[in-house]
Amino acid sequence: MKKKILSSLLCATVAATTIIGCGQSAQTTTETQSEAPSEAATAEATAEAENTQAKEPGEKVTLSIYTQYADDDTKVPYDYAVEQLKEAYPNVELNLIVQAQDDGQTLKTLAATGQLPDIYQASTDIINTFRESNQIMVLNDVAKSTGFLDKLYEANKDLAYAEDGNIYAFPFSGQEYVLWYYNKALFEENGLEVPKTYDELKNCIEVFKSKGITPLALFGQEGWNTAAAYDVVATRYTEGGIKALDEGTASITDEAYLTAAKTLEELVAAGLFQDSATTTNYDQASEMFLSGNAAMFINGQWYIEDATAALGENVDWMFYPAADEASYEAGKSVFSGGGSASGFAVNPDSENAELAAEVAEFITEKYCEAKVMYRHNPLVALDTGKEPDSEYPAMMKKLSDTLPSITATTKFTWGLTNSTFNDGIQSESQGLVSGQFTADEFIADMKDVME
Amino acid sequence: METKRSVLHKVFVCFCWIYAAFSLYPLIWMLFYSFKTNQEIFVTNPFGFPWPLHYENYITAWTKYDVPLYFLNSLLVSIGTVVITIFCALLFSYATSRMIWKGRTFTRLFLGLGMFIPVQAIMIPVVKVVQRFNLMGTRWSLIFPYIAINLAFACMVYYGFFKGIPMELEEAACMDGANIYQTFFRIIEPLVRPATVTLVIYIFLNAWNEFILANVVVGSIPQLKTLPLGVLFFQGEFTTDWGGMGATMVIASFPAIIVYSIFSEQVESAMTIGGAVKG
Amino acid sequence: MKKYMGNKLAIFLFVLPALAIFIIFDFFPIIQVFAYSFTDWNGLTTPTFLGLKNYIDLFNDRVFYTSNRNQLIFAVIITVYQMFFATVFAITISDKKMKGRKFLRVAYFIPVILSVTVVCQLWSAILSGQGLLNKLFETFGSDYTQNWLGDRYKAIYVIAFVNAWQWMGYQFALIVAGIKSIPADYYEAAKIDGCSNVRAHMKITIPLLAETYKFCLIISLTGGIKAFTEMNILTGGGPNKSTFTLTYMMYNAAFKKSDYGYGLASASIMVIECMLVMLLINFIFREKNQLKEEEKSKKRRLSYGN
Repeated sequence: MKKKILSSLLCATVAATTIIGCGQSAQTTTETQSEAPSEAATAEATAEAENTQAKEPGEKVTLSIYTQYADDDTKVPYDYAVEQLKEAYPNVELNLIVQAQDDGQTLKTLAATGQLPDIYQASTDIINTFRESNQIMVLNDVAKSTGFLDKLYEANKDLAYAEDGNIYAFPFSGQEYVLWYYNKALFEENGLEVPKTYDELKNCIEVFKSKGITPLALFGQEGWNTAAAYDVVATRYTEGGIKALDEGTASITDEAYLTAAKTLEELVAAGLFQDSATTTNYDQASEMFLSGNAAMFINGQWYIEDATAALGENVDWMFYPAADEASYEAGKSVFSGGGSASGFAVNPDSENAELAAEVAEFITEKYCEAKVMYRHNPLVALDTGKEPDSEYPAMMKKLSDTLPSITATTKFTWGLTNSTFNDGIQSESQGLVSGQFTADEFIADMKDVME
Repeated sequence: METKRSVLHKVFVCFCWIYAAFSLYPLIWMLFYSFKTNQEIFVTNPFGFPWPLHYENYITAWTKYDVPLYFLNSLLVSIGTVVITIFCALLFSYATSRMIWKGRTFTRLFLGLGMFIPVQAIMIPVVKVVQRFNLMGTRWSLIFPYIAINLAFACMVYYGFFKGIPMELEEAACMDGANIYQTFFRIIEPLVRPATVTLVIYIFLNAWNEFILANVVVGSIPQLKTLPLGVLFFQGEFTTDWGGMGATMVIASFPAIIVYSIFSEQVESAMTIGGAVKG
Repeated sequence: MKKYMGNKLAIFLFVLPALAIFIIFDFFPIIQVFAYSFTDWNGLTTPTFLGLKNYIDLFNDRVFYTSNRNQLIFAVIITVYQMFFATVFAITISDKKMKGRKFLRVAYFIPVILSVTVVCQLWSAILSGQGLLNKLFETFGSDYTQNWLGDRYKAIYVIAFVNAWQWMGYQFALIVAGIKSIPADYYEAAKIDGCSNVRAHMKITIPLLAETYKFCLIISLTGGIKAFTEMNILTGGGPNKSTFTLTYMMYNAAFKKSDYGYGLASASIMVIECMLVMLLINFIFREKNQLKEEEKSKKRRLSYGN
């Protein structure tokens, strides 16, 4: 018996070795990039020359692409882009690597170990980090030659350029906005008007709570949503909101930010959000709103499509309430949210870097087209000249009508450039929302963070 | 006095069974969950029986990625990890617990260091080592780091078991003229079989469920991806298809449960052999 | 005998494979972690040497103290919970008179088989605002409902419970395996001496499994210090970092703030803490071990005498 176990153990080792060995054939091109960066830099020029010659018609080139591919908002554009790519670049094949929701952990590790994919979706944080180590390609020339710059909407020009004046990624999203959604039917049933001031809002909170309805479902497990909740209040007191703090043109100790924190503290105490807001994820909060268990919801304008599909006529968005009627009216032109430089970037050490850059630009265009045509979202980076396959939802029309009068926007957290501030505002605003951290604590901690 | 004790005993047995039911509940819950939509999971029916059955979650899971291939990869990686880890840990712990040499305590504690470091911290250096040994693109790129991660723990468990065996056994074997290798493989190794079985299960599960390293090392190589990576197809930037994820988790957990039920029987039979040797 | 057990070649062959893999894939990376913790590094660029700056910043970080407090709470709770229940259940299962013991043994182990993700999903459903537990409490009156996972001070206890609950099964399996390896005649001897079942276990099982308990203790304590995944899924470290641990700090610094050097400093402190705990446990158990050894041989002589 003993012998049998031992021998079977050894057999298994041998078997495992041989089977596992088969994996050797699965080597990919990414491996060749593991050389030292200096070597790669010198080799780059020659490799590029070779590649342009090697790119004869009919020869297949596989480009790896790291991007999101999970829900309709990410799948529809990707599938559309792949389909279009087949016609425009018949020799190019894409190897999709699905992006993990891990704060860039995977992408940064891939970069640190020289395995960066040819094309990857880069956030502002990634762009700034990779810029320092030259792992993100400067796309100025490609942007010009492919006509990207000509198609870019005037309002989005600043999104394409990084602080140093170079283009590192092709953004596909345009200016985006934090909308304060509400369930019209619930407000009507309870005889409530859309609140314009915080006092009116507090009245709504009271009425909804007495009916067992959550006034506003927040998905506070995600720091960006709590930061947006703070920003929505802060922009009523100072136009810059969290953007001004990020850029350092305002200080957290300014009166406006303290007042905003105090206001949010009061609203939390009044019960604006559900008790467990800070441990609620997006899907939980969204389902609460869509099923009529919550009366209000804070999310980006990309949610219009889903909200309309579920609630139809009964959903709308409102201008953010303010301290008094005058500042409410004045604040109609200031929105939380904004554009971000996130978009498709290219690995400069890629064997086919030039081709990858062209493909990245192509995909970006197709993403914009798909978002307009199939997702009813005209707020994309580029002028696509496409029309949606059906009429825009009412909320989108309302937003489009409002657009010309918007004079100032702030940032979403992923558009912030100071990562220390970004981390701080996300967690500190979460503290405020939890109701267990006071406004004074918030200001004091943020002050520490900024130092 | 007697009746009081028996009542207490009954209460205790009751408690044991309630706790057991509580431990089994996640299985049922996971199964229900995998047949629900987001709305049912979060609002309308978080705990009840799923009705109507959204079996399409399984179809989505099955079509979104190559389940049999991922399954095979997971299996090969896990088996490779288990076999080599057990082999190395057995030998190492025997040498550090029962054999006599200078520096054995130090060597043992040195290896124990491996238990404390979180994977996230050593990820970049580990991947670099894997590249240096030219293992990228093979299943070894996962197996070796997994062995290293599990080794310290396995050695510690074995050490405890080896320490508990009376020294007389080796003395007797020595008298009979067996050499040290024979003594180890024929007499000592069978005695720690209960520990081996528990460790096999534990290491297998660790390797089977590992996500972080797998995503970095084989995430870009479709032929080598493992089952836990399947959940990526359901997690969007803002929204997650929880039902589909549930189906993926059921698919991934099912083999682990089978492995456990097989080995759990093994524990029982291994025990009787071990006992016979000792008697 | 000494020569027999001191066979140099055998020792070398036995130790080599494990040591080689460990040094290459674990020790070498750990050294790098320590080295990089003294630098300003974002994971990609060439690191610049900073001296002790990362550590000084760390000791001035409010979250560092919250993290250590959380780790301590976490470690203590899971240790007490797991060791107590694992022992109780293992002894119960080992009693041949217990009905359905095979079934129970499988049942207690089930949470270990499931991945952490599944278990945490389940508990977050039970513990959420409108979750099962709060609904249950509502039937007794709404005063009892709690914000289980969103509370600045209490959340860490709840998370520790979830971890303890899941991994209890593993210590249980180890102790069961340990009991099985104790020769049955020890218990028979005890029975002849008129010991009750429980007393026999108190007298024999627990002392004889000292080594098993030692590593159970090390697993729980260091597991508590290392904790990360449960927080990541259940609370995301919130509210406002009040459920952070050093591993979470490392993750947050390295990947959210691109400050790898700082993150690795907190990882280094954590490794040192774990090592100290292990050495401390080894130290405490060493004294007792020698006593036990003597006791054991005494007992053996006794039982042989019988």
